[in-house]
Amino acid sequence: MMIFLFLWLGGYAQQKTVSGSVTDREMKTPISGVTVKSNRQTVLTGIDGKFSLEASLNETISFSYVGMKPVSVLLTGQSEIAVAMEYEAGNLNQVVVTGYSSQKKADLTGAVSVVKTQQIKDVPLGNPIKALQGRIPGVYITTDGSPAAAATVRIRGIGTLGNNNPLYVIDGIPTERGLNEINQADIESMQVLKDASSASIYGSRAANGVIIVTTKKGKAGTSKIDFNSSISSQTYLTKVSVLNAEQRGRAYWQAAVNDGPGNDPNLNQIYKYDWNGDFNNPVLNGVLYPEFIDAAKTMRPADTRWYDEISQTSFIKSNDLTLSSGTEKGNSLFSLSHYDNSGIIKGSALKRITGRANSEYRMFNDRLVIGEYLSGTYSVGTSVPAGSIVELSLLAQPVVPVHTIQGGWGGPAAGMTDRHNPVRLIEDNKQNKTRFFRIFGNAYASLKIIPELTLRTNIGIDYNGDYARTLRKSYVSGFLVDPSNQVTATQNYSGNWVLQNTLDFKKIIGDHDIQLQAGSEQIKFTAQSFFGSRQGYALENIDYAYLNAGSTTKDNGGSGSGNSLLSFFGKANYSFKNRYLASFTMRRDGSSKFGSESRYAYFPAFSLGWRLSEESFIKDLVPSVSDLKLRYGWGKNGNQSIANNAVYDLYSAIYGTDNTFNRDNGSAYDINGGNSGQLPSGFTKTQRGNSALKWETTVQSNFGLDFGFFEGKLSGSADYYIKKTTDILLTPPSLAVIGEGGDPTVNGASMNNKGFEFLVNYDGSIGEEFTFSLSANVSTYRNKITSLPQNSLTAFPGNGNDKIILGRSVSSYFGYLADGLFQNQSEVDAHAVQNGKGIGRIRYKDVNGDGIVNGADRDYIGVSDPDFIYGFNLSANYKKFDVSVFLQGVQGVQVNNSSKIYTDFSSIWPGTNWGSRVLDAWTPQNSASSIPALTLVNRNDESRFSTYFLEPGSYLRLRNVQIGYDISELSNKIHIKSARFYLQGSNLLTIKSKNYTGPDPEAPNSTFPIPAIYTIGLNITL
Amino acid sequence: MIMKRFIFLILGMVLFSLACQKALDETPQGVISGDALNTPENVEKMVISAYSGLGNDDIHTSFSLWPWGSMRSGDAYKGGDSPGDNTDWHSYELFSSNRPELANTDKMWYFLYVGISRANDALRRINQVEENVYPLKKSRQAEVRFIRGHFYFLLKILYKHVPFIDETIPEKEYGTVSNRALTNDELWDKIASDFSFGSEHLPVSQPQVGRVNKQAALAYLAKVKLYQAYVQDEKHNVTSVSSEKLGEVIALVDQVTASGKYKLNADFASNFLTQFDNSQESVFAVQYSKEDGTPKGRLNMGVALNYPMNKEFGCCGFHLPSQNLVNSFKTDASGLPQFTTFNNSDAKEGDDFKNNTFDPRLDHTVAIPGHPYKYSLNNVYQKTWARAPQIYGYFSTLKETVAPDDPSFQKIPPFMSSSKNTDILRYDDLLLWKAEALIKLNRHNEALPLINSIRERAINSTQRLKYADGTFFSTYKMDVYKPEVNCNWSPEFAWQALVWERRLEFAMEGNRFFDLVRWGNAAEYLNKYFKEESAKRAYLKEAQFKKNRDEYLPIPLAQLNYSRGVYTQNFGWQ
Repeated sequence: MMIFLFLWLGGYAQQKTVSGSVTDREMKTPISGVTVKSNRQTVLTGIDGKFSLEASLNETISFSYVGMKPVSVLLTGQSEIAVAMEYEAGNLNQVVVTGYSSQKKADLTGAVSVVKTQQIKDVPLGNPIKALQGRIPGVYITTDGSPAAAATVRIRGIGTLGNNNPLYVIDGIPTERGLNEINQADIESMQVLKDASSASIYGSRAANGVIIVTTKKGKAGTSKIDFNSSISSQTYLTKVSVLNAEQRGRAYWQAAVNDGPGNDPNLNQIYKYDWNGDFNNPVLNGVLYPEFIDAAKTMRPADTRWYDEISQTSFIKSNDLTLSSGTEKGNSLFSLSHYDNSGIIKGSALKRITGRANSEYRMFNDRLVIGEYLSGTYSVGTSVPAGSIVELSLLAQPVVPVHTIQGGWGGPAAGMTDRHNPVRLIEDNKQNKTRFFRIFGNAYASLKIIPELTLRTNIGIDYNGDYARTLRKSYVSGFLVDPSNQVTATQNYSGNWVLQNTLDFKKIIGDHDIQLQAGSEQIKFTAQSFFGSRQGYALENIDYAYLNAGSTTKDNGGSGSGNSLLSFFGKANYSFKNRYLASFTMRRDGSSKFGSESRYAYFPAFSLGWRLSEESFIKDLVPSVSDLKLRYGWGKNGNQSIANNAVYDLYSAIYGTDNTFNRDNGSAYDINGGNSGQLPSGFTKTQRGNSALKWETTVQSNFGLDFGFFEGKLSGSADYYIKKTTDILLTPPSLAVIGEGGDPTVNGASMNNKGFEFLVNYDGSIGEEFTFSLSANVSTYRNKITSLPQNSLTAFPGNGNDKIILGRSVSSYFGYLADGLFQNQSEVDAHAVQNGKGIGRIRYKDVNGDGIVNGADRDYIGVSDPDFIYGFNLSANYKKFDVSVFLQGVQGVQVNNSSKIYTDFSSIWPGTNWGSRVLDAWTPQNSASSIPALTLVNRNDESRFSTYFLEPGSYLRLRNVQIGYDISELSNKIHIKSARFYLQGSNLLTIKSKNYTGPDPEAPNSTFPIPAIYTIGLNITL
Repeated sequence: MIMKRFIFLILGMVLFSLACQKALDETPQGVISGDALNTPENVEKMVISAYSGLGNDDIHTSFSLWPWGSMRSGDAYKGGDSPGDNTDWHSYELFSSNRPELANTDKMWYFLYVGISRANDALRRINQVEENVYPLKKSRQAEVRFIRGHFYFLLKILYKHVPFIDETIPEKEYGTVSNRALTNDELWDKIASDFSFGSEHLPVSQPQVGRVNKQAALAYLAKVKLYQAYVQDEKHNVTSVSSEKLGEVIALVDQVTASGKYKLNADFASNFLTQFDNSQESVFAVQYSKEDGTPKGRLNMGVALNYPMNKEFGCCGFHLPSQNLVNSFKTDASGLPQFTTFNNSDAKEGDDFKNNTFDPRLDHTVAIPGHPYKYSLNNVYQKTWARAPQIYGYFSTLKETVAPDDPSFQKIPPFMSSSKNTDILRYDDLLLWKAEALIKLNRHNEALPLINSIRERAINSTQRLKYADGTFFSTYKMDVYKPEVNCNWSPEFAWQALVWERRLEFAMEGNRFFDLVRWGNAAEYLNKYFKEESAKRAYLKEAQFKKNRDEYLPIPLAQLNYSRGVYTQNFGWQ
């Protein structure tokens, strides 16, 4: 403000004050932060897009903004200037960060997608990656509704058998932790490097693609405050339809009488039936409840709606504040954000604070630039096992009350499955918080040695840790009883430092544009963890629950690990007449994870581009073509996702391990027969090493086409790729005789991915007041395993003999073919030998025709890869209104709807609740039903994996709808630069196949449900 | 100026070269390499590690073998919530739906070989230490070979043809060892040689009760010889019985007896109560412990699912005595088993146990509604403790469990367990092996006192089966065999008596199925059982024992596949 004032006072005669506004041509929304430059002054536009600055007549005022076409306006006397800037799509001068350097989009020869950050900035999911779902062709993002959960990101299919996560590069620093802890409002730009030629400069860990994030900096010549605030309500719309207590009783009766004489339905421990006792013509007069469902007479029969008990309409509060300022000599930015999502499952809340300080100083005529990016995150989450709570709400019987008559916990009674009361799990765990921090940042110095040569050094850190103090309370919940309590305190810390050095050379000689780069990168990871626990707490109160207060069963443990990477790389970009483009990169990577003889590997790449639109035969003959570029790229990437010490033979002094569900791996033994006390112990073999382990490599070819027509109004790109991964690191299942430690990790499998991506965008307008933009993307991939070591075949779907995964997708399903239900006895008799076959039961296909249905009749029955994924975005502006609609879909995916074990069968888990689908089960009268007849005994082994459980998971989801209204005019009266108010809805509508019997194919089975979200928000600039 | 640029370049080069070769040397954290374990101190630790393997089973792979030896023998049902609760076991119980791909079949195979690989690892280390620095060398070799022999024995009776790998085979060659490299008989010989080494090199007494001694090796050798005596063909038919092997059984048992260290406990109950762990009857047992510094205790996890559903326990109701087994404890007017008529009527509840007469071992073996649970008078077993009575009835198992107030009881939510030992070799078992051998050798009169000594002890084991008022839980009437008085002790009769004595003495302990297979009548016996029992338990209608197949588990499909053709499937399995 002071600078403004000062400049204002310093004005002189010829000068005038020009004001105006800058809007996005596509969206018609104001653009804040546009640099507006006159000879005299540089200012930034406010959030309303408005600016005012001093300029002289006949001077050219320039407008620039990262990712947009610069605009120049000659000042001829007007005092108001309205500028519409064009967003990236058609913009070929847009600067794209491509790995240790940046390039103009026009010169790009790799497959790089630029994210329109503007479109996602108000999406309240707490993780920028989740907001990208469906927006970038070739990037398949799956997620759930949990406030704390990360998203799964697959770029161009599944490239390997181990870690398929992409590499993230935030402000130049590589990390594998994702963007959970990044404040969405801090993001200036995001790019996705999809092919090897663009990603291979990141070498070792780039085979799964690279997501580059650049955070905001203060803009030269201004200072401002941005404030965004929103509040959302979330609703659980996708509850599984389950039986109530009465229906559960009736279904049980039906199942028992279906089983025929000898199966007295009254022989169960809860329900009693008033029925005619005639198995041939059964009639149920009424379902009778006992006074208590347990022998101890503590639980009266209830009609509990478990899904309602565990869920809530919840709120998301999201606020962020950014202060930034800049001069020609430097800039700084400080931001704070607060995110509070209480979660639709009770107790799943997450609160997070992030702070950021970015600054940069320019010295010695801009020859030396020193700067830093630093962000810190602190979050508090609750350790409630949300996934199992969702599943338990399906399993818990409605007749079980939440509480006993004395106010204790209800729980399973005799005859029921031994599963916990989900409400108890929430209430007994809600005091247990996990506290997480992450510090991420880097400091850099860049020195221009001569105008063409720049040396840059960058030191980064990425450390995170968590601390949790967990009080496990004692409980009596039905027949599940644990009188002991325990406090466990855990602390984990892990992270890495990075040191990067690069030397850049740039020179234009005539028609030749040359860029050269050489660099090195060194990374060291460490991780440590420890825990302590005690039992015997006098009070079950979190304020008391410190280790010191416990009296018995003291236990503790800890571990550590580390690995390091060392790399050297070089890059050359060359362009001739802006028409013929070539790029070459080479990286030499070393990893401590590999054997000393094969630690290092080379990862070369090259790409070529031909800008046809610069050729006269296009330029002159087809003037509607504004851009046409052919691209080809080839490159090699690495992957090192194996255990840190996979090359070594190792033993551990394992005294004992938790043997509740798995065998004790320990070596202690009570050789003295004392029955307790410290025991002698030895060592357990934990690993066999393979000193010949080497890098896994991915070779990728990319064929691309970029196009723009009618001055870029219609633009887009198409890419086809072939991605071959060889020497895939896998730890094969070993022959049991080898014993503990198993077989060593080997470089074994190979895999192919081929795919196609297409993106198209159209910017249009009707009259002056109405502008719109349409964009659509679609992408697809096909995965195929091409080779595997013999001993690993059985680790994949298949029988390991004649039906093997080779030539098929790694996401194949292997099982029986369910061939409808037996309608009558003659159908049963006509069918092959199938243990337990009967009327109303599932008929399994005798695939090999040997007259017996057995394991040999399993076959490949589907693939979970989607046929294609797509997204469609519409943005429109009319006067002060702006609207955007985003639809996202997945087509052709097959989902293993394993919840059908509970929703469709009374026999597989007779002790749980069942879905209301069982009410429509097959009977001779309801013979059109596809749901097998109710029975209490699973004679036919219908839980076997078969096509009965495979369902089409295609969906089209109205992911986001937003309506905004510019209230800057109102707000100007109260000294606010600009303001905008918006309403947003997320996940409001989903179209799914009617053959998908669950509520939500995107979050099948017992994943954390995806809520519908309604948001009110405000953006303000001061 | 040029000089200055040059300095910058140098600076740049220095920064580049900061990263040197050493940067990639990472020492593994918190682990030890194999070579460091060859000192005598560490070798002793590796021997303990091999012992530890004896108790490292889990809830699905009991080394007591109850899911295979008891549940599949007509003595017990699977239990649990429903047939869907642990379906692999359900498939075992029915035989008809057993398949080579069942996960538990593979898991059990793997866990047993983990025990063997620990033994081999320890043996390799013992072998390369000189006896002058490691005086216990011979004994430790023998102990570890005993452990290896034990695991091979379990593998042998479960899977018949298994690859035999000892410490002389380098690990790299493991994949080349076929499960048919040895014939059935040669494999028995290999197992026997591990025990005969022990019988020569082990001391009569060990300073630590958990260690193997000479008698244990002799006894196990007797057991191997007994199984080996019944010669099987490729199709698992018993084609002949070797008199020579039977003779060895008798001699070996006699050697154990001659040591004077072992005799029957006065009360049968002592074999199933923790306070009598390592009693005079226990020849070798797996030692369990609690509050021992391990996360949950080194507990008897193989039987952790076998507790009933009362308030003190709460889970999970597996391994339930069959109606047929309960009926088999009925005695006739002279106190002898009802060989042919026992199953004509059911002893189900209430007065059934007053109006019939029983062998007292019934109430040591089976939890019956209305009878005190585990000898605990204030802890009466209720019908409500049964988990799925509409499917599996109301009985529950007793021998492997402990009472909730027993000091060895340990909750390991959601399961229950205890630190009670599991006997691998018990003296009553030895006596009946000898009796079996004698009868097969037509020396049945010599077998009579042995069988009667077992019965005598059972008759006297009613002290813990009494209410406060002195009345008994059930009506007991039992007598020893008195030739010419209450029976005709013919060879046929003696054999029947032996078969019955083994069933009643070891009911629910995990042996019965292997006895049936050894004797060669598993198919006939079990199919008859299924026919009768399925009238009471509808789910057994699907059960069918396929002769010449179901005598053994299939070689796990996963192992066949991993072996790339080196392993051959057992006869009868596809």
